[in-house]
Order: sequence, then structure tokens, then C-alpha cells
Amino acid sequence: MTAATRPMASPRRGAAREFGAAVRTIMVKELRGRFRGRRAFVVLTIYLGLLALLAYGTYVLIAPTARQASQFGGAPNASATIGIGIFTVLSFFQLLLVCFIAPAFTTGAISLEREKQTLDLLISTPLRPGAIVVGKLLAALAYVGLMILAAIPISAIVFMYGGATVDDLVRQQVVLLVTALGLGAIGLFFSALIKRTQAATVLTYCAVLVLTIGTVLIWIFFSILAQRDAVGVTRRAPEQILWVNPALAMIDVVAGTEAGNVGGLNGLLGQITGEDITNAGGGVTCNGNVCFQTDDKGNVIGPGSALPGAPVGGVTVACPAGMPADQCAASGGQPIAAVGQPQSAVGHFWPRYSITVAVIALLATLFSMRLVVPAGMRFVFRRTRRQTAAAPPSPGSVAMEPPAPPAVPDVQADIATAEDST
Amino acid sequence: MSMRLPPVIETRGLVKRYGDQVAVAGVDLVVGPAEIFGLVGPNGAGKTTMMKVLATLLAPTAGEARVCGISVMEDPIEVRRRIGYMPDFYGVYDDLRVWEYLDFFARCYGVSAQRRAGMIGELLEIVGLADKRGAYVETLSRGMRQRLCLAHTLVHEPALLILDEPASGLDPRARVEMREILRELRGMGKTILVSSHILPELAEMCTSVGIIDRGRLLRAGSIRDIEVSLRAGAVLQVDVLGDEATIAAAEAWLSNAPHVGDVLHGDVAMGLATRLEIPFDGDGNDQAELLRSLIAAGYRVTGFHQATSDLEEIFLKVTGQDEQEGAA
Repeated sequence: MTAATRPMASPRRGAAREFGAAVRTIMVKELRGRFRGRRAFVVLTIYLGLLALLAYGTYVLIAPTARQASQFGGAPNASATIGIGIFTVLSFFQLLLVCFIAPAFTTGAISLEREKQTLDLLISTPLRPGAIVVGKLLAALAYVGLMILAAIPISAIVFMYGGATVDDLVRQQVVLLVTALGLGAIGLFFSALIKRTQAATVLTYCAVLVLTIGTVLIWIFFSILAQRDAVGVTRRAPEQILWVNPALAMIDVVAGTEAGNVGGLNGLLGQITGEDITNAGGGVTCNGNVCFQTDDKGNVIGPGSALPGAPVGGVTVACPAGMPADQCAASGGQPIAAVGQPQSAVGHFWPRYSITVAVIALLATLFSMRLVVPAGMRFVFRRTRRQTAAAPPSPGSVAMEPPAPPAVPDVQADIATAEDST
Repeated sequence: MSMRLPPVIETRGLVKRYGDQVAVAGVDLVVGPAEIFGLVGPNGAGKTTMMKVLATLLAPTAGEARVCGISVMEDPIEVRRRIGYMPDFYGVYDDLRVWEYLDFFARCYGVSAQRRAGMIGELLEIVGLADKRGAYVETLSRGMRQRLCLAHTLVHEPALLILDEPASGLDPRARVEMREILRELRGMGKTILVSSHILPELAEMCTSVGIIDRGRLLRAGSIRDIEVSLRAGAVLQVDVLGDEATIAAAEAWLSNAPHVGDVLHGDVAMGLATRLEIPFDGDGNDQAELLRSLIAAGYRVTGFHQATSDLEEIFLKVTGQDEQEGAA
């Protein structure tokens, strides 16, 4: 407080850099409170312990049946069955937790500041509303993101057993992180929109329910209506409704691990997309060079046998009805699509889900920004931005009689700024 | 174009309406550099609204408001860099430590890391919280929080401080401390706009005062001028010992004394003094003379003082006068 007033920041400082610094300011403040003490680490430890326990429990449950089935040729590979089981359980459990936890960190982000009357102090600083909102969102996601990423080693247990590949794990992580982002942004939006944290929380979880369960009900409802309308033609509701469903996205990811893209989850996906992946005449499913005869539902019906020349990798081939399995496999069969059967729907939903939810998150964040501006000043900010965007203010256009107070292009200020950024 | 610095605060015809309700009804206010301007008025007079407009938290319905020559409507962000605002009600982030709290706000204003380090200590020294640097904000008493909030308004070395009821809810000791801090800040050349509904509180530290009621600035000027105009309607409180007959006699005596209006008295209690309230329109000399002759007349006086200006009461008079003048 010794020197005279100096300009806080050089006007030449890039807007993006200023925005980044402001976001960091909010994040530092939020994270200081959140990671204080042992709480955050205890919660994380409990979470990971729970996941590990769940993985072990799944192993204990699946292992005996998988081995038995494998001995009698029922399942392609006991180890892979265990791996897929663990991957499935971990994926859905993590998704469930993310659905609960991610919004919890953001539903109070703005409304709590209102309730505790700290918002006026915050928005009377030169921080841009956008920086406040983005900082809050990133700070909330930082912890959820940490939980998700810290669980990778546990998910990686499946690599010991096989069945799921690194690709599957990457997809799982994408869906989890995107879900955290989307639900976090929705929570933030309601927090900015509604004064009371309680109401914001209730509405946010309602939105989560709509996304996970509501979309499925709506889709089924519309599907039934559509079937009634068009006589004789089976039609389905637009699947776009389901693009926002995190559960379906995860089903899609998990279905990718099913051998030869044939199984219960694949069937489910096929029903939704309208692509019937079952092969009417039965066929052969190969895993490695071991092939199994399957019925028209994709279930293994015959004993596995090693076939030279069989297609390597989990591939289902279709053969004319009655053709022996070894002949069929040896011929290489024909890809299902080639015989008029549509391909598996795996890989259809999770990319669409990720993009849709990322867009929703972006919109929710943009709307939140508008809501953080002081109520009376909303149009002022809009006008300010338009002015600065359109043209630099012409000197002397306004009745500002004396020159603006000295905006000193202070060398010292620049140095200070540079040091600040290091 | 003159090189004269613009007034720190300048409003012209400032109006703020909430629906049908008029919170500020055309205020023209000019506050120069290094002034401490006190905004006095009853609750709901429009003080807080005016301050929020100046702090760029509310857009005025009509009129203009400028801080250091910058319009709050045209460049709110630039205005914010020049003001430190302390609302009448506010919360603190209780999960932060005292130094982190200040550090956060300093970052908000883009103060460099290098300057933050030294400045936080200096600010805590000014507001007398140096020994609380590492304490959690939630452990601070109300007075300490108030001072911490005051410190946060200073992190970016603003030209103008806008303090809404900085002494409300404080015990007398904390009030005195707050006043001392504001004096110190005045010494540092800050312009301060401070509000209160208690006039004496402001009288001791302000260089000038504006009286606001129902959104109108009724009077503005130096503290002396305002006080004189208010003292004209002062009430004296006289505590007299005695039984009912004595009190009645004292009342009659006082009613006949010069400069005295209709006397009111409270309950008569044996062994305790009875308080008589006397509307009095004389000056200090007249008061002294009244007391001298009252004692000379043989009444046992235990207390004789001017009622502390209860602003709400004075306002009823002031606004009553204005309404009468308006009708005439």
C-alpha cells in the first residue's frame, strides 16, 4: 500500500491469457477448500477400495462357472469370460457413481454463493462471468476426473484375464469423463438458474433420471406408437433420443467386449438400431482360431474346434443352413453383411453419445455464464461486448470531459505480469 | 479540454425502479477525491441501491453514474478495477484461511504474485488481523470478518471504497476500531463512500454527508452544516428525582422556560429519576442556561443531555417539512 495506484494489468495482455488466469484463480480457490485436510483423500481411498472389492467379488462369482463352461466347451475362453465380467461390472458401477457424484459437485457451485451471500463480492470483481463458470466447472470436474482416472489401474485388472482390450478401456474412460462433464455442466446450469441449492439439486437429479431412464421410456413409448401407426411395417422411434443416455453408451462400450460381437448386449443394441445381428441360418463364431457353431440367436450350440484357416479374431460368419461348422469356417464364410444381414451395432452409440453430451455441456455452460452476470447488468454486458467486438470506441464520442485516468503502459506492470504467469 | 481530474463519483438524475417501486428517484451527487462521504438514511431509503449501481451490480433505470469519469454502464469492468465494494450483507468463504481469502481476491483483480505476497501482510496490519493470517475465516468474530472484508476491498489499491453499513452489527469496541481504520484510509488518500442509518456514527469520520430518504437526496454538504440544521429540532432528556408532585412541578416549570415545547414524561418511580423529554430549539448557550436555572430552582437533576439523534425520528421531521413545503 506504499506506492500510488498502478494499473492492474497491461491492456495488451491477451484476452485468452487473462481468461486463463481468471479460470485458474477460481480453480485454486475451489480446490483449496476441497482438498483441504484428509477428507478428499479418504473418500478417494474408500472409492478405490470399493472398486477393488467389487472386482474381486465378480471374480469369485464368475470364475467357477466360467471354468466349468470352458471345460465343457460352452464358452470360448474362461479367462476372457472372467475379464469381460469384471470389466462389465466395473464400468457400470463407475458410471453409476459418476452419475451421482458429478452433479453433486456442481449443483451448489453458484447457488451456494448466492445463499452464503458471497456472490456479490465475487461478481463485483473484474472477473468475467465466463471465467467464473468455467473455473467452477473445471474445479468440480477435477475431483471427479481424479476419481475416474485413479480407477484405471483397477479396471486394468482385466488385462490379466483378457477379454477386454486397451481400446475398450479407452472407450470406457471417454464415456465416464464425458458423463462427468455433461452432468457437471447440467448441475452448474441449474445452480446458476435457481436460487436455492436444494431446488437446484433436485432438478439436476431429475435431469439425470430423464437422461438415463426417461429417454429409454420415451423411446419405448414412441416405438409402440410408431408400430401401431404403420400397419405391417415394424418401425422404431428415432434413436437420437437415446444419444444422450449414458447407460446405453456404456452398454455399447461393454458390448464391444463380447466375443464376436454376439451376445445379449449386442442383441439389445441391434434391437434399438433396427439392425438384426442374429443370423437366421445359424453360423460360426470364432475367437482366435477356435470356432463354434451358433444358432440364429448367436448362442453357441456346438463344441469348439480348432480350425486351420479360420478367420483370426472375434468374427462371426454366416453360412448357408446345414453347412457343417468346419466347412463353414474353413471357407472363411462370408461376412454377415454380405449375405444380407446387417452388421453389429457395436460402436454406434458411444461416439454419438460423447459428441451430443459434450455439446449439451457447452450449451449449459454458456447459459450459466449469462446467469452469473448481475441481474440488472445483463444487457450492459452484452452491449459492452458488442461494442468492443464491432469497433474500438471512438475517442470523445461519449461525454467524457476529462481524459480517462492514466492507463500507464508501465514497464514494471508488464514485468510483474510476466512473473505472475511463471 | 481541461486536465482537471474528474470527480470520483458523479451521478446525474440517477433513477432506479424495481417494478412500481422507486428505490432511487433522481439523485445528483458529486464526491471529490479524498473525501469521506457519508450517505445517511433510514432503511429502505435507497442507500444500498445507489451503492450497488456504483458498484456495477445494478443497472440504473435512468440517469448517469460515473466513477473516475467512467460510466458504470459503458465500461463496468474498468469501473470495478477502481472501486472496492463491501456490501451490507455478505458471506465469507469459511473453508479458506485469512491470507488465502485475500490472496483469492487479489488474484481476481489480477494482482501479480510478487505483489500479493507483501501486500497481504500490509493489509492485515492495517485492519489489525496480522496475527490471524493463518486462521480459518470461519473462526473469526463478526468484527474481524468485517475488517477482513474491508481488507479485501483494498487488494487492488482502488481509488474509491464503497462501504455499505460497515459498522452495522458491531459492538462498540469494534465500531471504534472500524472508525480508526477508515480514518487511516482517509489518510492514505482514498475516497470513501460510506453509508449508515446512524448519523453520529458518520459524523465523527466523514468530511461530508448526504441525507437520503425515499430515494431522494434531501441534503448534502459538510457535516457541520447538516448537524446545525438538524440540531434545530433537538430533544433534551432531563432526569429529575422526586415524587409525582415534584415531577409535575418540574414539568410545569420547564414548559414555561424559553425555547421549550410540550414536555413529555415517562413513568414516575420512587427512588428513581423520571425522564422528561423536552423539544428544544435553542443553541448550546440556551441549553446551559436552562440547566443552570433548573438546578437553581431546586430540582434534583441526575441527567441532562441531548437525545442522540435518532435518525428515523429526525427524518420524519425533515421529510414532513419537505412535504409541507411541496404542498405550499
